[in-house]
Amino acid sequence: MASDKYADYVQAVQKECPEADAGEIAEAFAKYEEEFYIPPQDAMRSVLRRFQSGTTPTPSGGGSTTTRQTKKVANLSELTGSDRDVEIEVAIVSHNIRDQMIRGEEKQIAFGMLEDNPWEENGQRTRWDYKDWGPHANLAAGSIVRIEGASVNEYNGKMSLNINQSTRIVVLKEGVATTVSSNDPIDINNIPKEGYICVVGRVLASRPDQIHRKDGSGSIDVVRGRLADDTGTIGFLSWEPFDHEVGTLVKVDGAQVRSFRDTPELNFGRTTRIEVYHDANFADLETLSQNTLTNVAALRDGSRDVDAIVQITEMTKRTFDRDGEEKFLWSGQIADPTGRCRISIWDALPFDENELPVTVQVKGARVRAWQGIPDITVDSADQLTMLETPPWDAEMDLTNHAVDVKLTDVVAGPSRVGMKTRGMLVSVREDSGFIKRCTDCRRVLRDGVCFDCGENEGTEDIRLRLVVDDDGVTAAVLVNKDASLAVLGMDQEQMRSKVEEVGDLGFVQYVRELMLGRQISVSGRSIVDDQGAMVLADGFELEEHDAQMRASELRTQWGWA
Amino acid sequence: MERARIARQPAHLLLASEFGSATLHEKGSGEYDPSFVITKLGAKVNRIVAAGLLERLELRETSNGSSLYQGQLRDPTGLHYFSVGEYNSEMMQELAHQWTERLNDGEPLLVMMTSKTRWYQTDEGAVYTSLRPEEACVVKREVYANWLLDACQATMARMNQFTASLEVEPTLDAYARTGLPASLLAARNHYGEVDLEPFNLNLMQALDIAEGRIEAATTPPPVMTLPDGEDAAASGDGPGVDAFLLEAIGHLDQGEGVTFDTLLKNAVARGFVREVAEAKLDDMLDTGVLEEPRFGWFRLAPSE
Repeated sequence: MASDKYADYVQAVQKECPEADAGEIAEAFAKYEEEFYIPPQDAMRSVLRRFQSGTTPTPSGGGSTTTRQTKKVANLSELTGSDRDVEIEVAIVSHNIRDQMIRGEEKQIAFGMLEDNPWEENGQRTRWDYKDWGPHANLAAGSIVRIEGASVNEYNGKMSLNINQSTRIVVLKEGVATTVSSNDPIDINNIPKEGYICVVGRVLASRPDQIHRKDGSGSIDVVRGRLADDTGTIGFLSWEPFDHEVGTLVKVDGAQVRSFRDTPELNFGRTTRIEVYHDANFADLETLSQNTLTNVAALRDGSRDVDAIVQITEMTKRTFDRDGEEKFLWSGQIADPTGRCRISIWDALPFDENELPVTVQVKGARVRAWQGIPDITVDSADQLTMLETPPWDAEMDLTNHAVDVKLTDVVAGPSRVGMKTRGMLVSVREDSGFIKRCTDCRRVLRDGVCFDCGENEGTEDIRLRLVVDDDGVTAAVLVNKDASLAVLGMDQEQMRSKVEEVGDLGFVQYVRELMLGRQISVSGRSIVDDQGAMVLADGFELEEHDAQMRASELRTQWGWA
Repeated sequence: MERARIARQPAHLLLASEFGSATLHEKGSGEYDPSFVITKLGAKVNRIVAAGLLERLELRETSNGSSLYQGQLRDPTGLHYFSVGEYNSEMMQELAHQWTERLNDGEPLLVMMTSKTRWYQTDEGAVYTSLRPEEACVVKREVYANWLLDACQATMARMNQFTASLEVEPTLDAYARTGLPASLLAARNHYGEVDLEPFNLNLMQALDIAEGRIEAATTPPPVMTLPDGEDAAASGDGPGVDAFLLEAIGHLDQGEGVTFDTLLKNAVARGFVREVAEAKLDDMLDTGVLEEPRFGWFRLAPSE
């Protein structure tokens, strides 16, 4: 049954990932649809990605019998994930030693970051992580070396270099022992997604934890917790004993930032220096704890210990079977003045589902994301506190509220629902106008053929496919039928006669004359993934500005009046 | 499905003077890496939205027999040179064809174009930038005026960054800390000292035009009018070969003048007749506009 319904999608996925199991793919689509209201055409990208990451790359023809060619490159960008026996000159940015159990044997390995293009001053440089399995004694931070015989490792789209035991390291310039982490502490909200940093913060939380090795070879004792300063908070993971109590102000130098999904986290290792710090002016624990309240716009996939006040606007109960036992889950929509997203509650609701909307304070929740849209996961009803009134204007209708987001933030941020953004329209794609959608999957047909389902008579639809740029970032915009017709000031029949009069491409040109180079604003939802940002717009406006007024304003602003 | 697709490059807003005076080029090492032009103000652009009066558009045959439309687009600060060839979409070629005819009929065309940027160097080492429009359309003046203001704001933002950078240690780290783009550092290293005054004047003039104060903006040259009257086409054949030669010498002179050959080759590349350009050079020498410090090298005569 379920598998029939998604047959076309399953086929499409299998085209990309021939080894994936049809039943599993269908299950994935069913899960998106039933649990998260995501129709298969919207889930397609996500499902594909999941199965693609599961497939192993097909081994390339020759096998090990062919002699390897050394690949000599100047820049890391020239390397691909499959490169073996690489030769490159790099600067070693950081170098750390760590003990690791390898095949039951304790072994030292080194890891850190290196940087290409070491000779050119002010040149463009790329940084990669590396692991040194040697470890090589002549590898030191600050030195410039030639690495001969390294291999490239690609994991989850992130590239790193493996320096093997057989790799030769030639030191070209001795390391001037510059400490990598500058001793200037940085604000927590300025912490980059990767790198070594120094930070001063108060310990907000700290608890021992264990990490289980995936291969079942045992577990490692670690400490997890959270640091805060008055700009924000960040989680940490200490691989070494960490016995500073909650409330202690510490200075952490040489912490490594790693990102889990979209959430940066500090890693403390052997080379990290942690000391108690004294600053009478530093915000106290109570003040900082209040700052941990976050909002919908700030939610990131992978965050933990999230506190927020939100309004629950919709709730649906789903039941499912796990190991023959019936389980349930409440899932629905939430909103606050900064945006909308989803919530999943794995417990009985502490309120009546017919009394929506309700305002609740959520404590200690996790965040996952589906299609990039955050989903606050609440495991127990204890984490929810009912509030009488929201801390914002209670009259606000959050269900139809579109939050203004700068395009630079749209592109850099998570996917959003209920957003509005603006920019300059720089392209009207030629496939704007009347289109035919596949009657089965709604995918747009090309010459009467659906990419997934084959030949199809199709149903007619209208859309505009645009590109909007602002301040050095770009986003694709798909405008739906109603919004397209509204901005064109036409009904469907008027548009049809226009297209008959000037042709499909003539119509595209007509649209360009109307809007190319103009500031527009669009509202709807955004999807941000590794292919860039896309706005699915159900609202679209051409901004009208009085140039004369604007010019006078600028003149005043620039002091030229 | 395409994997690891190269991301689309955003379009920037540049006035012609900033783009035309750029000589720095950057391209990654990969085959499909985008190429960029870096301007004096540090804008790193692969694509721009340009607008202005379509000043010239002509079809010419290239040496290999394909056809190429070459044109120029004037905004209040100068000229953009662009070409539309067989590598463009059919629609863009058709548009170029239509516009050529309309222009020949003397119709003033105010146009907006999203274009790829191109950088090239002649055998003599002269560096030029030009545009390859991807999408273009005729616009009304209100749209143009608003574009002009958007472009002014973008330019002003870059000028402010430029000024801020004077206080910052010239390293990538220091630039990153102060939120300045790396391309600005590249620009500072490449161009040396940059005088912001011409940019200021450009912006003032552009504001005048956007405000409808055309007279205030009409300082000679460049002449710029919005096509709201019948005389708007006047600038269509405005700057002739002498204007081009002066501009070229202004751009290319590194202190010792510009060679005769370079000037003529570039004039021909821009569609001027070689003999005419040659005669014009002589004229300008005679009238004292130019001087020839040594044989075959030309430079602008110092005024007064």
